[in-house]
Amino acid sequence: MNAVTPDAVQDFLREYVAKYLRGQGREVPADLPDDCDLLLSGYVDSLGLLELMTAIQDHFGSEIDFDQLDAEQMTIVGPLRRFIADQLNKR
Amino acid sequence: MQRAVWSGFLRSSEKFADRPALFAESKFVKYSELREISCRVAATIQAYRDPAGAPLTAVFAYRSPTAFTGVLGSLLAGNGYVPLNRTFPIERTLIMLERSGCRSIVVDEGSLPQVNKLLETASSPLMVLSPDALDFSSHKQHWPQHTFLAAHELKSAQSWREPSFEIDSIAYLLFTSGSTGVPKGVAVAQRNVTAFVDYMVERYQITESDRLSQMFDMTFDLSVFDMFVAWERGACVFCPSQKTLIKPGKFIKDSELTVWFSVPSTAVFMKQLGMLKPAQYPSLRLSLFCGEPLPVSSAAAWLEAAPNSTLENLYGPTELTIACTLYRWDPSRSPAESELGIVPIGYPYPNMGVLVVDDNLLEVSPGQEGELLMNGPQTSLGYWKDPVRTAAAFIVPPGKGEIYYRTGDRVRRPLGNAPLTHLGRIDSQVKIFGHRVELGEVESKVRDACGCDGVVAVGWPKTDSGFGGVEVFIEGQESPVEKLRSAVARDLPEYMVPRKFHFMDRLPRNANNKYDRKAMQKLLEEGL
Repeated sequence: MNAVTPDAVQDFLREYVAKYLRGQGREVPADLPDDCDLLLSGYVDSLGLLELMTAIQDHFGSEIDFDQLDAEQMTIVGPLRRFIADQLNKR
Repeated sequence: MQRAVWSGFLRSSEKFADRPALFAESKFVKYSELREISCRVAATIQAYRDPAGAPLTAVFAYRSPTAFTGVLGSLLAGNGYVPLNRTFPIERTLIMLERSGCRSIVVDEGSLPQVNKLLETASSPLMVLSPDALDFSSHKQHWPQHTFLAAHELKSAQSWREPSFEIDSIAYLLFTSGSTGVPKGVAVAQRNVTAFVDYMVERYQITESDRLSQMFDMTFDLSVFDMFVAWERGACVFCPSQKTLIKPGKFIKDSELTVWFSVPSTAVFMKQLGMLKPAQYPSLRLSLFCGEPLPVSSAAAWLEAAPNSTLENLYGPTELTIACTLYRWDPSRSPAESELGIVPIGYPYPNMGVLVVDDNLLEVSPGQEGELLMNGPQTSLGYWKDPVRTAAAFIVPPGKGEIYYRTGDRVRRPLGNAPLTHLGRIDSQVKIFGHRVELGEVESKVRDACGCDGVVAVGWPKTDSGFGGVEVFIEGQESPVEKLRSAVARDLPEYMVPRKFHFMDRLPRNANNKYDRKAMQKLLEEGL
């Protein structure tokens, strides 16, 4: 199986956030930089973030142990995508 | 006996002065401390009261100690509170502030940056009070029309005077959400809240050793349960930060919670993320859910993860004060009592009356479906400054002598001692070529067929007499549509079988995190 790259996760996150914001009739940002905090930027609320985690699992087809990721870090794009790619490639 | 909603807090603050009343921003606040600051906030509001303003104070604070002192301070000053939320779009906050007619606003540190925008557009002078602000001098210079009071300018707790209590004194004004239209402010009286709190603390035997979750933002009325049920008996409210909310399992364990209260969605996601493994949460003695339909599968999984807890499903619109029916989950009996894969909403609170009616507001026979109407001591005052919408929703049905609230929810009138079952919204019933179709029934079949909990059916396309069919939105990964369609078609008549299935990573939700059917209809109108 091909390795999942942090960029592939980035694409997924961008797509997800875009759909989320469009669903609420809000403006979609052009990019999600690595230092973007999804929660503090108001892109996704806390329940939305739980949904995002389940969507990541569904999309990449694997259970991810989110307990391994610090709550402060898991809402920030850079650490989040690297963590997910690491987890998926460990399988 | 009528009493003020804060009387329980004051009693607890004397009896349990050194016990924690609150955990927020990683620290405990003792009852005596919470009382001290709340009384200072109250005394300040009283000292600067603008008689031209509404008897309301806005609380613009988020998951901070000031959010709680703001609520208590407003009430102790004799005002109702109007919660504002900095995670909402500022335009929405502006509408809420303007419509409420508040002249005073309590602000926490994190919400201060947004306050400037409110000050720019406020149509009347505001009194801005912040126990978190050290210095307001630049604000004072910039906006001379408004009054600013920083931490050191608050009045002393000793100068607080107990306010007079009137029969219709407002406890809070909450704006109901929706993606379209102007938000409606529901005015809830203190006597509505005390009727609710009195029943809850007795039923659940809350004591000073309880530790309650605060999962709800204050703009969601279920947060009133967390605060006032806890404080009535000297218990502690644990308010997680926005980031802690993402790890609810860790939050339960770290805080050793005894009482859990959330929307069912949280349980649904925890199940999917592997956070509901058996016996994970032994500290919980009570697990409560409210705010949206509770799937049978989620209730069962939760009880396995929290084996020492009693699980109850609560139901109630904001207009009937937090919750007004409940159902205790019993693993052996409940699956048979559930309909459409959803846990029953159960039985009305002891003093609340139920009426299930048809389109002409006449009671239907036992076993029949209809709209749920309720009345009793939790019936709120109605919509703030909106007599037309109040009169439309708070009505006297033919042959009755009392005002009932029309919930807009479809239920089955129980046969014998059966529980009330929630079948969907009145407006979720659509006509398809003349057939009455309950969208909830379509959703339930699709849920069973695809194994996803997030399913919303929408009538589509529009016709002169209703709709030409049903389309379904599914939250989750795309699965083979033909298999899904044939599974659903086995149980449903042809006109109810979805014509299209739309898969989305996330379904549109409104501000309270409920699925937003109207937004999905709009997606269809715009050709997705």
